[in-house]
Amino acid sequence: MASKSALSFHVKAECKVSKARVGLMKLPHYEVKTPVFMPVGTQGTMKGLLPDQLESLDCEIILGNTYHLGNRPGTDVLTKAGGLHKFMGWNRALLTDSGGFQMVSLLKLAEITEEGVKFRSPYDNSEIMLTPEKSIEIQNCIGADIIMQLDDVVQTTFQDYDRIKEATERTSRWLDRCLKAHKRPTEQNIFPIVQGLLNKELRTQSAKDHMSKDVNGFAIGGLSGGESKDDFWPMVSLSTGILDKNKPRYLMGVGVAIDLVICVALGVDMFDCVFPTRTARFGCALVSKGQLNLKQKQYEADLNPIDKDCECSTCKNYTRAYLHGIVTVETVACHLLSVHNIAYQMGLMKSMRSHIENGTFPEFVKNFVSEYYPDGNYPSWVVNSLSKVGINVVKN
Amino acid sequence: MRFTIKHANLGGERVGTLTGFMKSPNTVIETPTAALLTQGGSVTHLTSEVLSKVFTTPQLLWVPLSNSVQVEPGLKAQGQGMAKFSGLPEHIICVSQHNMSEVTPPGHFELEKVPLWTKNGKKMITAERYMDLMELYKPEIFLAIADGRTALNEGYKRVLKSLDRSCNMFDTCVRRYKASKLLQNSALVGVVVASGLSKKRDESLNHILKSKDSLSGVALAGLTDGTEEANKLASKQLENILQTMGEAIPNDLLRIVEGCWNPALIMVAIEHGWDLFDGAYATKLSNAGHALTLNLYTGSESRDLCILDLNDERYKEDFTPVLSGCECLTCKKHTRAYIRHLLNTREMLSSVLLSIHNLHHFDQLFRHARQHIAGNTFQVYKKHIIKQYEAFKQYEAANGIINNDSDKPFNGITQIKKKIKVSDDEIPTINVVNGS
Ligand SMILES: [Zn+2]
Ligand SMILES: [Zn+2]
Repeated sequence: MASKSALSFHVKAECKVSKARVGLMKLPHYEVKTPVFMPVGTQGTMKGLLPDQLESLDCEIILGNTYHLGNRPGTDVLTKAGGLHKFMGWNRALLTDSGGFQMVSLLKLAEITEEGVKFRSPYDNSEIMLTPEKSIEIQNCIGADIIMQLDDVVQTTFQDYDRIKEATERTSRWLDRCLKAHKRPTEQNIFPIVQGLLNKELRTQSAKDHMSKDVNGFAIGGLSGGESKDDFWPMVSLSTGILDKNKPRYLMGVGVAIDLVICVALGVDMFDCVFPTRTARFGCALVSKGQLNLKQKQYEADLNPIDKDCECSTCKNYTRAYLHGIVTVETVACHLLSVHNIAYQMGLMKSMRSHIENGTFPEFVKNFVSEYYPDGNYPSWVVNSLSKVGINVVKN
Repeated sequence: MRFTIKHANLGGERVGTLTGFMKSPNTVIETPTAALLTQGGSVTHLTSEVLSKVFTTPQLLWVPLSNSVQVEPGLKAQGQGMAKFSGLPEHIICVSQHNMSEVTPPGHFELEKVPLWTKNGKKMITAERYMDLMELYKPEIFLAIADGRTALNEGYKRVLKSLDRSCNMFDTCVRRYKASKLLQNSALVGVVVASGLSKKRDESLNHILKSKDSLSGVALAGLTDGTEEANKLASKQLENILQTMGEAIPNDLLRIVEGCWNPALIMVAIEHGWDLFDGAYATKLSNAGHALTLNLYTGSESRDLCILDLNDERYKEDFTPVLSGCECLTCKKHTRAYIRHLLNTREMLSSVLLSIHNLHHFDQLFRHARQHIAGNTFQVYKKHIIKQYEAFKQYEAANGIINNDSDKPFNGITQIKKKIKVSDDEIPTINVVNGS
């Protein structure tokens, strides 16, 4: 049984119009302000940045991947190190995924049965069975503040109803096994994952099943996998409509600015995505209108910072012209762009939090959307999702 | 810039200071010292934010033209010099033609041009073009252009050509330097070539010294073309060359040794009065996943080897710092096991953490050397360091490890490209936004 002591969540302010809210999530290692973006540090490191730098960027919680960490450095090393926090020198909060998603997406040979996910190790080709119990055992070793149940993952665009139904129901059964196997309920929180893909009935059923369990928060899964945005947002809205208002809601794998804004309006509290750091490696910097590809020749003599209003150490010390000269050649360029891109994400979440608290969130959303789509051609999903929560962005 | 000798011993080793930098009049760089090697203008693997966590005072940075010239359009547009442009405005820069330790393919030569191997391939440059670039870089110190990338056993004809071409180019540098308003606050360093032939080497030095009034220092080239074989050969003959040249160069000139020489050779160079090194050794160790762990305290023995290969499985569960007692950020916060994991998973943070430690520790190596010179105990220190290095070489030999140290070529850009794991065709198509 999960204990309440490993997580407490207080809703501090709510938007009077939309479902957006500001909260404080107290975890064993840190008090996290929500809505929050969690950068992904797959292998126990954030793409060349020191833990000190992440702290100065106001990162309060970061993600690690169970599948990768379980392989390298492995549970033996992590146990001896006293957990991932100590191993990587990160004192704030951590979240780990279940490892199931990586297996299904990385490995073609994965086979899912009631027992678990069977696959061949890409390291030594041996056959491995990842069961709900095994996933929790590894996550207990890693020691993150929030851990994920193993879920039965189906490609989001998959059509076969019987298979989706099976996966949704199996996810609920696996949740029970995960909760039963959990050895550190006073230090770690298991979040169930709402499944059901794009099917309303199944997703409703999944959310209701999870609501009946003694858990401290919920994840919304099975989305952001190639489905259209018009199919995506109603599922988010449906999920947040059912899930307990007094517990944090985590939308998995979402991190592009416009998606963050809309999903905050729909009532989501937590997000993660590899996008800001991955795009940095390719020389791309996030700005309010999208991104700049600094490799392009147009920047070779551009003496502006990436964003003149950005407070990050990259924008304070470096020009676009300098970055143009070193992107994709020097590791320093990756580090500089990762710093800026994480600062951008953190800044966006921070301004959403303050607008929700000040009661100006709907105006913020309208401004954001008009800046994001300067030609005024707002996609239907943006208009419809926001109108659903009472924010009208269509120009009169 | 002013070079002042503060303390010189009979043996030749000396402590000095570099002062009088226009942009930071209070900065004092003590010699002997190693500069911090840069790539693309940045200290390898370290952003300015991270560098400020390693060193709190202005540092001397070694800026090879070859690995940074691609930023020329921006540098020109900005017009405030390379230190400022690369986000390191408070630091002192010394510009050289190449990173001496980097392998360069044998190239053809033209009468008045030498090849510069850049990230965009070979560029032939003249002394005039070189001086144009110096006016853009605005360095505190710069080396004259030379045709100095020859091995000690290079053919006689090639060496003669190299000497001839270097002398001509040096004269152009001096003429331009004297006439340049933009380089009034930059110090010029002459480059001795033909180091493998003592007579030709002397000719080279004598030619440079004809312009002694314009000179702040002398650097040594013509030792290696960067290949493993040439490095090996140079290591063996270096002591002799350093000694003869150390004696031949007037005392008041700053003496610079470029290249990736090991701590034992560095001690020898210091003993013969050499003042400044380019810092390539520390960078090479970091790139290879190695940590420098010399015991700098004479009179105590250390149990560890003086270079640790943190790629080794043996560190998998070693939760101790890289070097106990080390004051660097890496040693204070991280373990050998974590760095080993980062190397094993090819994560970029491994290079950052190793650079932080290696640059700090390499700096300490020189700091202790200066203290020993001032206290007239340098011989004891030198023996203490050389003994540790010899023990390391013996360990390597006994364990069948083939020189993963000094002689192996240095490969900056390719190695790093592999780390970033970016190839041009991986670049995704994205929205283009007009500059604001
Ligand atoms: Zn920025
Ligand atoms: Zn250290």
